[in-house]
Amino acid sequence: MALPQNLVAEFNELLTHYPHKQAALIPALHRCQEELGGWISPQTMEDCAAFFGLEPVEVYGVASFYPMFRMRPPGKHVVSVCHNISCALRGSDELLAKVCEVTGAPVHGTSADGRFSVNTVECQGACANAPMFDLDGVYHEDLTPEKAARILGEVK
Amino acid sequence: MSQHPTYLLDRAKIEGAHTLAVAQKHGAYEALRKILKEGITYAQVIQVVKDSGLRGRGGAGFPTGMKWSFMPDPAKDPRPRYLAVNADESEPGTCKDRVLMEQDPHGFIEGCLVAAYAIRAQAVYIYVRGEYRHPYNRVFQALAEARKAGLVGKRILGSDFDCEVWMHKGAGAYICGEETGLMESLEGKRGHPRPKPPFPAMFGLWGQPTTVNNVETVFNAPFIVNRGAAWFQSMGTKTSTGNLLVGVSGHVNRPGVYELPFGVSCREIVEDVCGGVWKGKRLKGFFPGGSSTGVLPASFLDTKLEHDAIKATGSMLGTAAMIVMDEDTCMVRAHEIIARFYEHESCGQCSQCREGTQWLHQIFRRIENGEGRHEDIDMLVTLSQGMAPGKTICALSDAAAIPTLAVVKHFRSEFQEHVEKGACPHLPAGTRRPVLAGHGAAH
Amino acid sequence: MTKITINGRSIEADPTKPLIHACHANGAEVPMYCYHPGLSPVGSCRICQVEVQQGTGPARVVVACRTPVAEGMVVNTEAPKAHETRRECLEFLLKNHPLDCPICDKAGECDLQDYAFAENQGEGRTHEPRRKLDKRKSLGDVIVLDEERCILCSRCVRFMEEVPKTPQLTVSDLGSRSTISTFMDRPLSGNYQGNLADVCPVGALTLKQFRFQARVWNLKKSLSTCGECSRGCAITVEVLRGQDVKRFRPRYNASVNQWWMCDTGRFSSARHNATERIVAARRTSRGLEVAGLEEALAAAAALLSGAPAPLIVASPFTTQEEAKELLALAKVLGAAAHFVLPAPSGLKDALLNTGEPAPNRRGLAELGFAPLSPAEARAKLAGARCAVLAGERVLELLGREELARSASPKVVTFDTHALEGAAAEACIGIPEQVEKTGTWINIDGHAGKLHVARPAPKGVGPLTRSLQALTRLLQPSSAPAR
Repeated sequence: MALPQNLVAEFNELLTHYPHKQAALIPALHRCQEELGGWISPQTMEDCAAFFGLEPVEVYGVASFYPMFRMRPPGKHVVSVCHNISCALRGSDELLAKVCEVTGAPVHGTSADGRFSVNTVECQGACANAPMFDLDGVYHEDLTPEKAARILGEVK
Repeated sequence: MSQHPTYLLDRAKIEGAHTLAVAQKHGAYEALRKILKEGITYAQVIQVVKDSGLRGRGGAGFPTGMKWSFMPDPAKDPRPRYLAVNADESEPGTCKDRVLMEQDPHGFIEGCLVAAYAIRAQAVYIYVRGEYRHPYNRVFQALAEARKAGLVGKRILGSDFDCEVWMHKGAGAYICGEETGLMESLEGKRGHPRPKPPFPAMFGLWGQPTTVNNVETVFNAPFIVNRGAAWFQSMGTKTSTGNLLVGVSGHVNRPGVYELPFGVSCREIVEDVCGGVWKGKRLKGFFPGGSSTGVLPASFLDTKLEHDAIKATGSMLGTAAMIVMDEDTCMVRAHEIIARFYEHESCGQCSQCREGTQWLHQIFRRIENGEGRHEDIDMLVTLSQGMAPGKTICALSDAAAIPTLAVVKHFRSEFQEHVEKGACPHLPAGTRRPVLAGHGAAH
Repeated sequence: MTKITINGRSIEADPTKPLIHACHANGAEVPMYCYHPGLSPVGSCRICQVEVQQGTGPARVVVACRTPVAEGMVVNTEAPKAHETRRECLEFLLKNHPLDCPICDKAGECDLQDYAFAENQGEGRTHEPRRKLDKRKSLGDVIVLDEERCILCSRCVRFMEEVPKTPQLTVSDLGSRSTISTFMDRPLSGNYQGNLADVCPVGALTLKQFRFQARVWNLKKSLSTCGECSRGCAITVEVLRGQDVKRFRPRYNASVNQWWMCDTGRFSSARHNATERIVAARRTSRGLEVAGLEEALAAAAALLSGAPAPLIVASPFTTQEEAKELLALAKVLGAAAHFVLPAPSGLKDALLNTGEPAPNRRGLAELGFAPLSPAEARAKLAGARCAVLAGERVLELLGREELARSASPKVVTFDTHALEGAAAEACIGIPEQVEKTGTWINIDGHAGKLHVARPAPKGVGPLTRSLQALTRLLQPSSAPAR
């Protein structure tokens, strides 16, 4: 297995931004996660290691350090509910409970139908518009449980 | 509400300011033009920023001009040099840099270029937290426009100033907002902060001279170049000059990111700017500048929001991210959340931090769940004293210890109440807080 | 050199090394977990706190492993503040430590245990549940990881990256969730895995081979030299109850192996626990029979005396001292001295292993012994009337079975075991490398010493003495043996 050609081309462009190859690793892992199943699979780590001239264990050490890199395949949609202080003060507990109820997914788990994964995450920098969640990379802010249910209900 | 002069968010409020055409119509890149057309030297740029008294907006409040002057003389040290812009905004409560990046990306890029010019960096790396997709995209698009217009890259505006600006995505680790953790992460490694010395100005990215500045810090630079140090000093206080972005969250009627001069009182911010505590409730306490600045009780509300005055309370200005808590807030629960956060974000290198952040979290959680012992309260203090100050490679350990010490100092009786009652007094009798998640781990 | 003061003593410190090095070099005890003199310093465990005062500045407590030495620096490793900071640090390190010292192989040589004991940290204040992790995670054939005991000093990660330069370990995840991992639980590979158990300051990484084998305080440690290749790494031989060789461990030698050794050498310790050993035997009309040493030597002398130019073949394990006695014998016999040089082991690497399984190859060559491949040696033997085969493993290296197949030449052997077969006239037992003193000259000319780590079997004397006795018997002018 090897990285798809489009990613290789992208990574080669990325390399031109930095004096050292490894600097492009984290941006590259982001692209891999986006393009290759929503997570960083062992195969992805091996392929990236080969591309960057690293050992797979070095890629693993880096990938596992960063909470945004998922080491398990997620559901079709990923809801990341902020549960840090500003959101907690404005009802993230209730929001999280609603998200779990609507999606059928446990916290840090995936719904039985595989449609939703629900995570709690630390501060997302949307504190003045708390509470919030990130749904598939898009922030939804100033949420109420009802608003959240509506948004999740509209997800295909 | 009293009117204060503004500049930081003026352009951001204009429709379409994220596009080059609109931004330029409203003054974007004028400082850069001025520098390059009038032949202002890098030393002059550093001097005017020094004179302005601009202090870093990323939390530590270090004088920016002085930081720039730490970069070695290129005549004596011809190594490549870099500007790393810290857009990893992750301190709980902080959401200000995002506004600048989303709404005035050209103003931000100009700030990067002015700073890069001052330190003679040939490349700028903007390290954006990975979750900030929208701000990232806005700056990315703006960069593409600016590059096309000859504002970024080789021979900027026809001058001999070359500077590339690259965007770089982080991946959710708070510690990468620490400048040396940021550099490690930018190099594609685990974001482990580096021991200092050596300092970034001598040994930064890839071992080369590097300056790390916050988004809002560099954003101020073009205004100072355009309008002068005296203008800048006319706002704020003697030791904290200019305006700053204050992000207010929590229990206020109008949370938001507001541009205010240093020195306004916290009361003005809560009561006037933000319309008071929500639901007509009374204030219990507030964090003046993010979760790592010690909580202050309501009695400190008249404190002026500037470095010295906040420091005098025993807290810190931090990122000026005020987190406001009403009278019903459980301080133990609030700090359990904060302790959980620091446990989650400790990189794990230093023993005190890796183990201490977990330990503090466990004690807060036990007390909140009614399983606390009286000696736990003092243990929070002694453990925090073992974690800080300056006992670890970076300040994350301090950031966990400081709010712990503050809350025990100001709200000890609330802890005692939890212990004596064997339950959280803010919960209905016989109920426990639902345990929805042990950890915020995303994987 | 930089002049600094440590605990009131003015000393000269190497400015290229961190302060902790100067402390240790001058007898000041500073504990360390993440720091290892053979690895890059990271300054993360924070235990090596010392008080430092420079110029007119105030005394500060700093980590000695990340502090460069500076002219005039005044260091106090025993300052109360330094001890207090270390004690705080220890409390954090012990917070999740399972304290299972009674079943831990590292107990007795554990830096965490030792220092906790030194600082009276027998009891902790924690009431929290300790981390529950995998207590026996296999990392391959050599190492087992106890994740609960790990203090995340990252020495093992750095060792793999920096010494054999084959990164295979990482700290995975972060913060209190960190663990040491290989990629997808792949087993470790390479010939230097055993060092991981040495660099680990606690009982997290231990040798499978040593698992539950001995309490380390029951091991008698002797300085020695590894014989598995011509590098001759400095080692300690660790023996339980004067009997079993339990471990070979590398010991620091700046010009040979620094702190390390390869697994081939390390695990060759097992070979020294064979039970059956010969004292002496001689051929009688009934065959090869156990005999007294003097009888066997007399039989040897009878065979060799008057024989035209017997062949002398030594083992590459022969020490310089033994080799010199062989030369004396060769002189009396008018024989040429040879040694067996086995084929390359195929284990040669860029670090230590020379791939040349002949620890004293250079020493023997310098004394004038001519190298022979096993095949060449056997060919030479086929044309000889009689021969002396001497030194540990000489029979094995020449090919025990090939030797046993032929009745000629008649041979006298000095080895740990007898030669079965019609050719053997006299077989004299000798000590193994762990049972004798002596010297090997390594590939670069460094002398590696052997010391007695365990007594030789009863009745087995040093090879040097047996050879001297034989030489005396053969000297035409000699008086009868006393």
